[in-house]
Amino acid sequence: MARRVAIVGVGMDKFARQKDESVDEMVYKVAKNALDNAGLPREAIDAVVFGCAVDAFTATSAAEKVAIGGAGGWLRPTMRNCTSGSTAISTAILGYLHVASGLYDVVMCICFEKMSDCRPHPQHVFNTVYDEMWVRPIGLNVPIQCGLEARRYLYRYGITELQMAKVSVKNHGNAVDNPYAQLGRKLTVEDVMKSPYISWPVKVLDTSPTTDGARAVIFASEDVAREITDGPVWVKGVGRCGDSCWFMGRRNYDLGRIDYAYEAARQAYEMANIKDPSEEIDAAEVYDPFTYKEMQHCEALGLCPEGGAGRMIDEGIFLREGKLPVNPSGGLLGEGNPIGAGMSRLCWAYLQVKGQAGACQVAKDVKTAVCNGWGGMYQYNAVMVIGRD
Amino acid sequence: MTKRVAIVGIGQTKCGYNIDGFNHKELLYLATKQALNDAGIQREQITSAFTTSLDFTEGRSLSNQYSLDSIGGVMKPCDLRLGEDGIYGVFAGYMEVMQRPAQIVVVASVQKASDRGPGADATLMLSTQETNYVRPVLANLPAPAAVEYCLAAMEARRYMHCYSITEAQIAKVAVKNYNNATRNPMAQNGKKITLDDVLSSEIVSWPLRSLMVAQPGDGACTLVLASEEMAAELTDNPVWIMGIGWCSETGYIATSELAKAKFISTAARRAYAMAGIKHPASEIDLAEVYDNCTFNELQYCEALGLCGEGEGGRFIDSGASEIGGSLPVNPSGGLLGHGNPLGTAGLMRVAQAALQLRGEAGDYQIPNAEVAVVQGCQWPYRAGGVVVLSKW
Repeated sequence: MARRVAIVGVGMDKFARQKDESVDEMVYKVAKNALDNAGLPREAIDAVVFGCAVDAFTATSAAEKVAIGGAGGWLRPTMRNCTSGSTAISTAILGYLHVASGLYDVVMCICFEKMSDCRPHPQHVFNTVYDEMWVRPIGLNVPIQCGLEARRYLYRYGITELQMAKVSVKNHGNAVDNPYAQLGRKLTVEDVMKSPYISWPVKVLDTSPTTDGARAVIFASEDVAREITDGPVWVKGVGRCGDSCWFMGRRNYDLGRIDYAYEAARQAYEMANIKDPSEEIDAAEVYDPFTYKEMQHCEALGLCPEGGAGRMIDEGIFLREGKLPVNPSGGLLGEGNPIGAGMSRLCWAYLQVKGQAGACQVAKDVKTAVCNGWGGMYQYNAVMVIGRD
Repeated sequence: MTKRVAIVGIGQTKCGYNIDGFNHKELLYLATKQALNDAGIQREQITSAFTTSLDFTEGRSLSNQYSLDSIGGVMKPCDLRLGEDGIYGVFAGYMEVMQRPAQIVVVASVQKASDRGPGADATLMLSTQETNYVRPVLANLPAPAAVEYCLAAMEARRYMHCYSITEAQIAKVAVKNYNNATRNPMAQNGKKITLDDVLSSEIVSWPLRSLMVAQPGDGACTLVLASEEMAAELTDNPVWIMGIGWCSETGYIATSELAKAKFISTAARRAYAMAGIKHPASEIDLAEVYDNCTFNELQYCEALGLCGEGEGGRFIDSGASEIGGSLPVNPSGGLLGHGNPLGTAGLMRVAQAALQLRGEAGDYQIPNAEVAVVQGCQWPYRAGGVVVLSKW
């Protein structure tokens, strides 16, 4: 059996459209914050795991190599994971593996993204993820593919654009209380509905911003965790899954149902011994680069029945004061979306379980929380369930 | 908890430049199919996989995502991709098996340098360097095509200066490895050459000559890993992963001590400690080392403790690292002779060493090989890792 693994500290810093800091500096800040948060010296770190979505944002091949110093990784084992958006959680899972396998006791996971270096806009980079022969020439990028996927999802389950808009209002509103957020603001449903389409049915305010930022999480073995903290937050389950990158190779030929996310969630819940997520999960930090993705992910994570996310939004279940708060921190929509550094979802889930989420803390007692990351060409998902004893 | 992890399947394509017109997905499929056949398993039995790839060498962001179909990894936890050399896949695969033993884990890597076309590597290598302080300096070099060689040449010069290594000594590595590769049917660059051939070949960046640097190529490699319990069911001829270690220095060339491969000696220390190896020079039967440039083999042999610090020159002079020597290094031909699919070469070194321990290395078989050390490197970064393999 694997060793138990705890999260003992997280490092946060402000997300912004453009940070006047190098990758090295951004990484240093969150690494330092995480060490302070965990009460550990730099020397305690056995290994460093990096995550960044794709190299092309910073035009540096293996962009993390310049940040090894900032992360305290000099002459230590470092490893980098990059799976686009799901990097956010799959990097954390790789860090978890370092400890669970028994190889290391204290491991620092750092995810960063500096998208502002990419001119005129990082969307050009996203076109380069597609196959160079068959798909790239079509000119696909993220919003275009999102439009296709969203349209199919709305049609398949009878979800409305109005319901999507309510997710935007919720998450931007939640982010007002998040000190690290880029886009906290009080919006109305009308504001969202009136914003222009970027790719029908997805509107500007359904979309997360372009962001610079970094996040750090420290994983520790049970022995170390019990030594340095009274209430360890355990990694209870992990799951990840990748479907075929070819649209026509997907398991069910239907962009509207994200089978790979259901599978990743199934693995994580099985490991965490969770039978009914909608009852047993107290709060969720869900990957929401677009409003409809939050809804899709809530369904895949079993927080509501398949196709039921629209009704949950209407009933206010996912509000911070609701029965099952989703993205009380503001999510990617409100906090900002530095792709890989979406590991912020895990940071906030941890803070919720610790009761240290400040103004973002949900009303109910959070014992178990779930977070996920989504990426690749819409076919990767990684899920992590954390909680107290 | 399982105590050990075994390599139960090995698959690799031959190395070459545009191999029979196969694209990278096909190359990876061929290597993986071979590895699955070798392990006697179907693709449905794969429970998890790790791929390694570098976006800039592939010319595609998120460059592993088309690999999932090739390795039978669709709708499974096979998404995790390490932006490192292939040998890091072994590390991640090892951790995955140790964490949950009832698994069959695939580690795969592919590289298709021929897609880039000639000359592209100069820009590529420039992109590996830090943007504000280092890259502008290298961009001003009179012959930008030599960026990768300039980086290596600085290291070579410093190494040779500190330890009085001669050009003839670093040339001997090329003679050995190209000649070894003539025995390896999978090799790209096997050729019978002499010391004079190497020393009279064109200078690419002094003191490095064209026959002293590994030329980029295509190739794919896949390994299948399993726990002790699973391995017992699958194979009579497992190769055990006894120790692993990896380490990085910083990405700034200016802050590194170029004469020594400190990242490798640190990684080796950890791998040897895990494997219980105290005297590598006498306990190890063969080594597969990342000989990106000839002097690297000597430098890394020192870091791996196969010879003393600064004794790389005497080590090659003594003939110990020849196929018939006391501690053969790169009997497969290494990167110079066997081939240099950037980012896959490290995994290929592991595969080659595993073949040796199984006794399946054909004409370049080292008799009675029982313990091997393998070293990979994410060149040109000062980051790399070490794997110790054993037959028992």
